[in-house]
Amino acid sequence: MSSSPRSRTSQTAIFALAVGAAIIGLSLILVGLGVNLLDAGRMFVGGLFPPVAVTTQGAQIRDLYTIVFLIAVAIFIVVEGLIIWTVIRYRRKPGDDTLPPQTHGNNIAEFVWTIVPTILVIFMFVISWQTLNQVDKSSADSQTKIRAVAGQFQWTFDYLAPDGTTILYTEYIPLVSADGGMIVPAGRTVQLSLVSNDVIHAFYVPQFLFKRDVVPGRTNSFDFKVNDSDVGQTFRGQCAELCGSGHSIMLFEVKALSGPEFDAWLALKAKAAPSAPAPSGQPAPSGQPAPSGQPAPSGQPAPSGGAQGETLALTAHNIAYDKTSLTATAGAPFKIDFKNEDAGTPHNVAIHQGSATGQEVFKGEIFPGAAEKTYDVPALSAGAYAFVCTVHPNMTGTLTVQ
Amino acid sequence: MATTTLPRSASASRSTLYEWLTTTDHKKIGIMYLINSFFFFFFAGILALLVRSELAQPGLQFFTDQAYNELFSMHGTIMIFLFVIPMLAGFGNYVVPLQIGAPDMAFPRINALSLWMLPLGGILLLLGFVTGGTAAAGWTSYAPLSEDHALAATGTGQDLWIVALVLIGTSSILGAINFLVTIFKMRAPGMTLFRMPILVWTVLVTSVLVLMATPVITSALIMLFIDRNYGGSFFDPRVGGDAILYQNIFWFYSHPAVYVMVLPAMGMVSEILPVFSRKPLFGYKAFIFATAAIGALGFSVWAHHMFTTGAVFLPFFSIMTFLIAVPTGVKMFNWVFTMWRGQLMLKTPLLFAIGFLTMFLIGGINGAFSASVPVDFALHDTYWVVAHLHYVLFGGSVFGIMAGLYYWFPKMTGRMMNETIGKAQFVLMFIGFNLTFFPMHELGLAGMPRRIADYSSTAGWNQLNLLATIGGFTIAASMVLLLWNIFISLRSGTPAGDDPWEGNTLEWATSSPPPAYNFDRLPEIRSERPLFDARHGRTAEH
Repeated sequence: MSSSPRSRTSQTAIFALAVGAAIIGLSLILVGLGVNLLDAGRMFVGGLFPPVAVTTQGAQIRDLYTIVFLIAVAIFIVVEGLIIWTVIRYRRKPGDDTLPPQTHGNNIAEFVWTIVPTILVIFMFVISWQTLNQVDKSSADSQTKIRAVAGQFQWTFDYLAPDGTTILYTEYIPLVSADGGMIVPAGRTVQLSLVSNDVIHAFYVPQFLFKRDVVPGRTNSFDFKVNDSDVGQTFRGQCAELCGSGHSIMLFEVKALSGPEFDAWLALKAKAAPSAPAPSGQPAPSGQPAPSGQPAPSGQPAPSGGAQGETLALTAHNIAYDKTSLTATAGAPFKIDFKNEDAGTPHNVAIHQGSATGQEVFKGEIFPGAAEKTYDVPALSAGAYAFVCTVHPNMTGTLTVQ
Repeated sequence: MATTTLPRSASASRSTLYEWLTTTDHKKIGIMYLINSFFFFFFAGILALLVRSELAQPGLQFFTDQAYNELFSMHGTIMIFLFVIPMLAGFGNYVVPLQIGAPDMAFPRINALSLWMLPLGGILLLLGFVTGGTAAAGWTSYAPLSEDHALAATGTGQDLWIVALVLIGTSSILGAINFLVTIFKMRAPGMTLFRMPILVWTVLVTSVLVLMATPVITSALIMLFIDRNYGGSFFDPRVGGDAILYQNIFWFYSHPAVYVMVLPAMGMVSEILPVFSRKPLFGYKAFIFATAAIGALGFSVWAHHMFTTGAVFLPFFSIMTFLIAVPTGVKMFNWVFTMWRGQLMLKTPLLFAIGFLTMFLIGGINGAFSASVPVDFALHDTYWVVAHLHYVLFGGSVFGIMAGLYYWFPKMTGRMMNETIGKAQFVLMFIGFNLTFFPMHELGLAGMPRRIADYSSTAGWNQLNLLATIGGFTIAASMVLLLWNIFISLRSGTPAGDDPWEGNTLEWATSSPPPAYNFDRLPEIRSERPLFDARHGRTAEH
């Protein structure tokens, strides 16, 4: 406690001056450091709002957020202001020797601050409920039906016929930047259903302002409609429910095409797609043993009947290749006997020049396990290559061609 | 074989240690609760610093994804089960019998049992670090991720996690029974229920919550254990179980647990504000009813943690969650109007109590966003939620705990804590806390999910993450000040005397530290402020 006697006004004034000086000083330092305060302030305030929604449902959620936010800010300013003002105004000053009035309560005040918040929260509940009924729907009649299948740690997207069961095309690559992604028609209501192969995941696109858990054992679904004005845009998506060691890399992208573009795209893909080896989304029962209990005879050298028709064996198990390096002969086509032992999980073998990020020189067909395929790889010139799973970029190894 | 006599000093120190290890004195047990909790607080705080270091910039710098998952799983588990809950139980243990004028808890030996189960549980939990990895499925350990050794890549660590939590839960249940019997049976003559200090009331309601909720999570844990080790099929859909069932049972405990973690902190703040405002608590009875209402409503809101599962009756849990804001708001106004027109002595305990009010307010307000179901669809499982829960449990509980520590330290040790270091710690902790957790609101809105070890450098989250990490280390610096303050105050703090703060409640009517039997004599108890009455006389104006 300060012992020098000061009047109430001068102490408050000194305190206010100190706070003001601190704020001005801090601002000057920041400006001196080259921080544009106006921009920083705009960024800070902008950061308090979600991204602009690209779906009609998301836009409604954003409007609701704005209302809740304004109410919250009003409450914050009133109560926080009251606290700060009380603390500054009612500090004990020298000479405050008699007790302050011993107020035990005030029924009217207590009634008011019970009733007003009650009305406020009921109001917020009602507007939330109204929005909920509009954004959390799953209509049976939507013409575009997509099923997202989540598994540790990738997404695949099944494009379904209007009956909701026939698979027209399955996209195994979750990223648009890798020639895959979830392609949706803008301006049309899309019904998205969600199934999981293993643990709980969550389908989350920040610009949709929406997420829904992907729960094993149940099928969740919801509708969304991307705005016409967002045709051509790509939206980032990510698993939002902790799902294991690859949770942070379980990314996907959503790209919006116009309705006719989407129809043409899907028709093309559906025609090109080989008949699906196994309907994804219905993983093989886990009790069933993988086709081969023992690993492929990987330790043995590939049958070396000469350069022609050399065959390399490679197995994928638990989202990893069984080998980190392969060797092939330069200038001669060869085969890769690829066994995918992960039930329900798609893998392939692609070959890239130099490293896994280098130019792709061969891409084997992606297929879900458990299954086996033999790829015919064209002749490669001598050098260092990498083999990589297109679906799981962290599955890599080196291929030496000599 | 020569026999030598031990030097006197060795035998004396051994007997002190022996006395502490075998004591049934609620004050010694309470202090050991605090020491144990502080140990785990600093340990889990270091885990948090490791998490923040990894997230400071994009890319994996220090840990693998799996190690990162272990870090935040252990951080959450330890902070909740081995720091906040036992810390508050420790304050309750020390203060409640003193405040109701009792010589000890009702069951002193069970009290010692509750204490010693905690370090045992803690050691079991930490053993995961040396048995091939701790639990890595988050502090929530959702099934089926936590079910299968292959799915979460954890083995023994997850089983140790289950066993540790069952032990700690049992300790909580025993403690709750002990508190309830003590409060109902051991009050001094004149101490009617509506003259009990607010802290005692909050411990009472907390104990009811613990008693009703903890057996439920114990059942979930045992089912998980059976699933993992004996081929049960409670939670694994591949064999006919239900993944959502685990979440329902888990949150039926874990949401009331939030109130277990915050109600006693509210109680401590409600002891401190009147003393340092030199006024009674505004609306004493309203405050008690609000506490009871929070406890009751707390059992009907659990599924707001599961809005995005698609398996919840949304409107019911939404309205209940909104409604719980009402009694909480009542308390906030009671606290502010306790200070209103008072004479505030801005000592460290009051500063931390005011810190509690200002930060818990934010934690309450940003909770309303999650109560609004559609908004929760956007915010759930993002860093917004991390911000929210830390504003409640750090901005609320930890600020309350610090306030309580500075307030009762003189009673426990007979020495005052250093005011200057205390204020410096408050300022540093306040700034560090906001620097760490406020940016997380914006990270969540920008779409950063929680529990990810890495993020893309192009996602726009770099600066905010760096800011949060700087804040985290600022908090750590404030904790170094706290340790230093405790150290020098124990060695050479100003002697406190019986009643350094002009307190209201009975613990200030005995010596500091109190004798083993607590009181030589008790003042008359005519109100919730017996010492105030003794000091100023009980008149119509008071």
